[in-house]
Amino acid sequence: MAEKISYKSVFFNPLSKDNPVVVQILGICSALAVTAKLEPAIVMGLSVIAVLAFSNVIISLIRNTIPTNIRIIVQLVVVAGLVVIVNQLLLAYAYDVSKQLSVFIGLIITNCILMGRLEAFAMSNRPWPSFLDGVGNGLGYTIILVIVAFFRELLGSGTLFGCQVMPQWLYNHGYENNGLMILPPMALIVVACIIWVQRSYNKDLQDK
Amino acid sequence: MENLNLFIRSIFVDNMIFAYFLGMCSFLAVSKNVKTALGLGVAVTFMLVITLPINYLLETYVLKAGALAWLGEEYADVDLSFLSLIMFIAVIASMTQLVEMVVEKYSPSLYASLGIFLPLIAVNCAILGGSLFMQQRDFGSVWTAVCAGGGWGIGWLLAIVAIAAIRERVQSYSNVPAPLRGVGITFIITALMGIAFMSFLGIKL
Amino acid sequence: MNKQSSTYTIIYIIVLVVVVGAALAWVATALKPEQTKNANADKMKQILAAVHCAPANNTLVAETFDSRIKGIVIDEKGDIVDNAVAFDVNVADQSKEADTAKRLLPVYIYSDDETGTKYILPLYGQGLWGPIWGYIALDSDGSTVYGAYFSHQGETPGLGAEIEKPEFQERFVNKELFKDGEFLPVTVVKAGQRPQGNEDYVDGISGGTITSKGVASMLDNCLAPYKNYLEKLTNNND
Repeated sequence: MAEKISYKSVFFNPLSKDNPVVVQILGICSALAVTAKLEPAIVMGLSVIAVLAFSNVIISLIRNTIPTNIRIIVQLVVVAGLVVIVNQLLLAYAYDVSKQLSVFIGLIITNCILMGRLEAFAMSNRPWPSFLDGVGNGLGYTIILVIVAFFRELLGSGTLFGCQVMPQWLYNHGYENNGLMILPPMALIVVACIIWVQRSYNKDLQDK
Repeated sequence: MENLNLFIRSIFVDNMIFAYFLGMCSFLAVSKNVKTALGLGVAVTFMLVITLPINYLLETYVLKAGALAWLGEEYADVDLSFLSLIMFIAVIASMTQLVEMVVEKYSPSLYASLGIFLPLIAVNCAILGGSLFMQQRDFGSVWTAVCAGGGWGIGWLLAIVAIAAIRERVQSYSNVPAPLRGVGITFIITALMGIAFMSFLGIKL
Repeated sequence: MNKQSSTYTIIYIIVLVVVVGAALAWVATALKPEQTKNANADKMKQILAAVHCAPANNTLVAETFDSRIKGIVIDEKGDIVDNAVAFDVNVADQSKEADTAKRLLPVYIYSDDETGTKYILPLYGQGLWGPIWGYIALDSDGSTVYGAYFSHQGETPGLGAEIEKPEFQERFVNKELFKDGEFLPVTVVKAGQRPQGNEDYVDGISGGTITSKGVASMLDNCLAPYKNYLEKLTNNND
């Protein structure tokens, strides 16, 4: 059975049709907190891709040795270990971003995408497809994060990656940055809009 | 007095759902009706009240830089803070299993209503988030940790029950555009509630 | 081997914990020097920001800091404490010490040819969500504010978090800590209001009331013990 899975669909499905954030509704917590600016959103996305891919591979490698009754704890320990490593790396090589992300790097551990993928995929598949699945889901998560952060930074601060992009003449004509956009609740509304757009095209995802 | 303020602030101002949006996964999955929402809310509160003080003690006496000084002079320089994440999650996961076993043994009726939620809780961001905020904010004593844990838990309970009640009504009485039905509209309701809860920011405590 | 037996489970978990623990300990030790370097550079950057000095990269920060800043530690009487290093004093712990006579008070003395000598004092307090901290730079008369820098851990973006914006920090420039010989730290009030005493004040942030109050009480709490030292500076200058 495991042999028959198409690698292509394993990798590409999570990007849109099976997106972890807007379709499976997993990993929302961190998606909201770190998306006020593009830069932390991208770093967060990359961290999740790394943790997801490697934890998928590790769990997939040891999947036949794990005693069932402590399955969840084993998964948590592996994930937590990887998150700590990512956190230490960020502290050493991207100090400013890691300061902005603060506790949310730690919260990757409880990101439901991780536990969801480990349970649903890595526990029953071989390492290579698990790796692809991890990267694919991580990318799906990152795409949503980047879209949300793009709108929030553009409309909320008039900048992208910290550089001013809203032209001055707009401000001269009375345009103002929308302060509401940088407050956390607006991230939810932006995600809701993405869901709205995606489900208008993809009718079979709609709730009855 | 200080702790009472913190307790009330944790419920309304620092609300885990409306101010930080933590624990959203189980929040969205379980807020379809009030009864199950209440069950999960109670379970989360319970776990926060138990794990926060344990993690506080662990942090102060084992993990923090210089925390091992009580073992003797030579341990004063040990800094185990890089282990804090993994220790916190280990405490949370093992407490969840422990509580599950105890409840199953001594109160089958409680287990029947609460049991299915317990495995969900180990991966609830609100619980780990509570411990991480505790670490970040440098709490003064165990009691502060207990009060904050209780407050965050009750705040979470309040939020999930409120949203579940609204969802029940929305489902039966309103005509939501098809693509927004289900999660979409829940996101928007939660965001609006979050904006409403921001008005608590100005409260002086 | 039976995978469901308790012995297997226990051995499994022990092996797992040892492997993960060892890996983490190795990573943490290997990256420690780099992390300490970053943390120090960040602190230096913040101190230099109080005197409007922003070197481009971490190497320049360290160079500028070493060449232009001399750190001393004083006590409440204004006397120099010999066996302490200003940069290593934990301001967070010191500011919580209720007995101000016991506090160690770091002073960073900045000097270059253009701006002259400035005295930079560290601050630490509580905002709405978590700690706030900063550095305030005084002219050589020990009273006029030359510049200020504030930062925070998790204040609300757009509201309390505005304290880290230059617009807010510029408001402190040219305020006086001494009024008619009396020591009154600058306070923060709601825009449009005036403080009860006659101390200098700046407008707070609208919507960030609790954070603004936190800044005011941080200034009170952290600057008060420096009174004697600053008075000496004022008198030397006359």
